[in-house]
Amino acid sequence: MSETYTLAEATLKVIQDRRSVREFTADPVSEQELDMILEAAQQAPSGENAQPWRFIIVKGEALRKKMGAVAGGGSGRRFTAEFVTKKMQERFSNLQDEAKRKAAFEKLTSGQVSAFMAEAPVNIVVCGKKDVWDTPFDTSAAIENILLMVTALGLGACWVIAPCIDIRDEERMKALLGIPEEYKAISVISVGHQTRVHRPRPRLPIQELVFTEKWGEAYYKEQA
Amino acid sequence: MNTKLIPLDYVNNLVYELEKAFWDERGRGARFRMTTVGREFYTEKVVPLLHSPDLEEILKTVRDVLQNEGIVGSVVYEQEDRLLRIRVEGCLHRKVEEKMAAHGIEPWTCVPANLIVLAIEEKLARPVELAEIKVAEDGCHLLLVIFDHHPSLA
Repeated sequence: MSETYTLAEATLKVIQDRRSVREFTADPVSEQELDMILEAAQQAPSGENAQPWRFIIVKGEALRKKMGAVAGGGSGRRFTAEFVTKKMQERFSNLQDEAKRKAAFEKLTSGQVSAFMAEAPVNIVVCGKKDVWDTPFDTSAAIENILLMVTALGLGACWVIAPCIDIRDEERMKALLGIPEEYKAISVISVGHQTRVHRPRPRLPIQELVFTEKWGEAYYKEQA
Repeated sequence: MNTKLIPLDYVNNLVYELEKAFWDERGRGARFRMTTVGREFYTEKVVPLLHSPDLEEILKTVRDVLQNEGIVGSVVYEQEDRLLRIRVEGCLHRKVEEKMAAHGIEPWTCVPANLIVLAIEEKLARPVELAEIKVAEDGCHLLLVIFDHHPSLA
């Protein structure tokens, strides 16, 4: 690659290139790559410098499949509930292509959208200590660092909250992985080599997101 | 021991404030963190009476406990394939849902629903999801989805 970037440009490019990757090749993630990913994670900001994060690296196929079952089961339940109440149909009302709508509904209600972690070469289970002030924020910062380093390394990853969001599933995960009571199972980050290039997902216009001095007064004025 | 009963309004206002604080913190994700609330009551009052692995019997047992303990006035079930529609009338916690709705928040957690979910999941090993809570004149209308089986962990 002959392109050169300033540090700021390179940082922004990594951020912009990050995707949620759910399909992986069978190629392993090297120990050197994993070391850099975990080093990035533990450099995240932390309230009171409590560093409440702990990470469980899961590579074994049997355990990956069990985690995939918990994740897929949880997603399947929640998305089916959204489907039977017609909220999913409302959410996808802009998708006109009937075949694509059906495929999207199937992917969500079946739980496939999260069960893929069974096939990821590496799953990083992020846990957070409860007895600190800022565990959700600290661990989320660590997760973003993981995702950015994964991208910088040319790998792919997906942040999967499905096996942890419902307390019933979190209990299953904690039992499966032996996570002690004083820690929460926060999320799983599935990592591997992506099978294809993913398009960027749309973002809201920045004019709608940023205000000046107080809520509601746009910072960025509409372009004439 | 002080045997004076705690005023219901006091309890419901506290429950509302706790739920509202949790909603303010966690938004729509809050509902998934409350799915086991009522477990102690379930373990103490419902489990000893759950003898049959039959769905109708399980539902009847939970309804009887809820009525006998004075938590609700009546519970009516209607099953349609995997959907279970429940109308709960005269619930002690109705005021909590009304206050939530008055603040523009859709009701998102229900202890009677949790007890039903816990009982079905435990006795039948079938996953259940609370899909909807609608507060109406004639009671709370709950919609549950009952799935065939848990995904295999084998």
